[in-house]
Amino acid sequence: MAANFWTSSHHNQLLQQEKIDVVHPEDKERGLTLEEFKLIKIYMTNHIWRVAQQVKVRQRVIATAVTYFRRVYTRKSLTEYDPRLVAPTCLYLASKAEESTVQADCYDEKYRFEVKDILEMEMKLLEALDYYLVVYHPYRPLLQLLQDAGITDLTHISWGIVNDTYKMDLILIHPPYMIALACIYIASVLKDKDTTAWFEELRVDMNIVKNIAIEILDFYDFNRVEASKGINDDKINAALNKLVAKP
Amino acid sequence: MGDGRGIAGGTGGAAGGVSNRPVWMQQYDLMGKIGEGTYGLVFLAKTKKQKSCIAIKKFKQSKDGDGVSPTAIREIMLLRELSHDNVVKLVNVHINHADMSLYLAFDYAEHDLYEIIRHHREKLNHSINQYTVKSLLWQLLNGLNYLHSNWVIHRDLKPSNILVMGDGDEQGVVKIGDFGLARIYQAPLKPLSDNGVVVTIWYRAPELLLRGKHYTSAVDIWAVGCIFAELLTLKPLFQGVEVKGTSNPFQFDQLDKIFKVLGHPTPDKWPTLVHLPHWQNDQQHIQGLKYDNPCLHNYVHLPPKSPAYDLLSKMLEYDPRKRLTAAQALEHEYFRIDPLPGRNALVTTQPGEKIINYPARPVDTSTDFEGTTSIHPQPEMLFLGVLQHHQLCLPEQVHVQFLWLGCRGCHKQTCQLSILLLKLVLEDLIQELCLFNVVLQHKHINSS
Repeated sequence: MAANFWTSSHHNQLLQQEKIDVVHPEDKERGLTLEEFKLIKIYMTNHIWRVAQQVKVRQRVIATAVTYFRRVYTRKSLTEYDPRLVAPTCLYLASKAEESTVQADCYDEKYRFEVKDILEMEMKLLEALDYYLVVYHPYRPLLQLLQDAGITDLTHISWGIVNDTYKMDLILIHPPYMIALACIYIASVLKDKDTTAWFEELRVDMNIVKNIAIEILDFYDFNRVEASKGINDDKINAALNKLVAKP
Repeated sequence: MGDGRGIAGGTGGAAGGVSNRPVWMQQYDLMGKIGEGTYGLVFLAKTKKQKSCIAIKKFKQSKDGDGVSPTAIREIMLLRELSHDNVVKLVNVHINHADMSLYLAFDYAEHDLYEIIRHHREKLNHSINQYTVKSLLWQLLNGLNYLHSNWVIHRDLKPSNILVMGDGDEQGVVKIGDFGLARIYQAPLKPLSDNGVVVTIWYRAPELLLRGKHYTSAVDIWAVGCIFAELLTLKPLFQGVEVKGTSNPFQFDQLDKIFKVLGHPTPDKWPTLVHLPHWQNDQQHIQGLKYDNPCLHNYVHLPPKSPAYDLLSKMLEYDPRKRLTAAQALEHEYFRIDPLPGRNALVTTQPGEKIINYPARPVDTSTDFEGTTSIHPQPEMLFLGVLQHHQLCLPEQVHVQFLWLGCRGCHKQTCQLSILLLKLVLEDLIQELCLFNVVLQHKHINSS
């Protein structure tokens, strides 16, 4: 289990991208587009990150929280599960699962939910996650692989890329070590390190690694464009307001 | 798993209509309460479909606004991933949104080592046969080896947490239970000693007693060593008096009990000993006393050269780094000599040997899932209520107790019995209560 990703629930629950890019019928009815769905997820990932910074939890807790968040919306609608409440609750639950519990009242900030709301949502989340709480992340394999490749000077940049992958759904689709490899690949290209021989020795499917890398780079491009247009609260609120409005 | 989602659109656990119970409860026939702990209550139930027995652990809702208890989260998280013959099986998780309580449903195990040992000590007055001891130990180590190779430390192994299956396909199979303190230790975010000292004191490894910070899976092996000795002698090997009160007190008596049996640890044999806080801080106490004659074999009545003694002493090695691992223990000569360990630890191997019928777990039929109200009206309450109603008073409290005990002996008839008794009481005068009790007891025995 903890030692073996291949027999884990995380592995068993990996999904195809097409299964993830589906707007829940209930949200669709209210006019939510796939683009808005993705935007809300990016926005809320950032939100989780911000809250986490305030309550000072470790990276792995944040990563687990984001994974829970994204996993919930492969099954549940944004209409039924208000993402503004689900986001801090995911962080709360992840902090327990990763053994660094933070008080529930610490999460009461931007959207001003009551502790009671978070605790109620915690139970609903457990159910929505089907009680599977163990999540694997690319961080550990990343460090091991960098060491193995003898390019530990790329740790900082590749670690940052791994962080950014949580703004996408990669963690729901690929084994964490493949994500780590893609991040190393990007980092080594950016920093002009020749890792070709090392990658060859690994005997992994380089097509998959490159495809993941391309997805990450595409995401950076998309983000640049979005940033120039500005993802602001208004845009998100407009999308979120669709969900409360009657269809 | 988690069929609670059909409930009223997820808004709460209240299933519409008569009762306030969530829909999932309807798939079980509740038999009664079988256990209680700091976390909450344990119930015995039967599934309506397969009629299989299930132990349902109910976690109390937190009062201080902490939501689902970390204990429950740990247990769910680990057991949802683990799957092994010698590890208890989590078959379902349920939530009652109405009162925010959480229920874990496990395959039911009729026995546990605590009860088995007690039965031998108090009822049978003879030791557990060699085959059974060896099979129990082998399966316990087999389950532990699985946990350790998956980076899980149990941290609270003790006889009452080692379950043994009763009648059925899995009769005599050991199941390690209660993962409320278990941890994944591959990458803990905080040092393992941070969330309080764990492991019941009698089974606690010396490095924990001396406040080692980064302890390892070796703490579980120490506990297994203690359990092995207890299976052999029917009494706890190191029965120290626990110091309670302050958080994480120094358990001197427990260490003293260990030293008495195993001799004093020395930095010579256990090099990292000198780094342990309590060893450094409490020199005159721990280092001052000297027990020079280790005599473990006398305590467990084993010849010093026997394989059983060799295995035991290697599991009770002071230095956690030298202590046997579960995998090494499974390879030990003890398990390769006659009698060989088997899957059903409770069968007999010797011709003419009697099969031991271990008692079934007592079931308290008066408690329901809420843990407070009664499924059947409790006889003594009913009884007292009627007395009160008729403005009668009891001659002596003893009679009520007598009655209550009489009813508890027979779980199925509690309700009928109390009604019968009430009739009798109402038909006659209270002074003759004693007589009726006797009459009732006879009826009771005849009818069951």
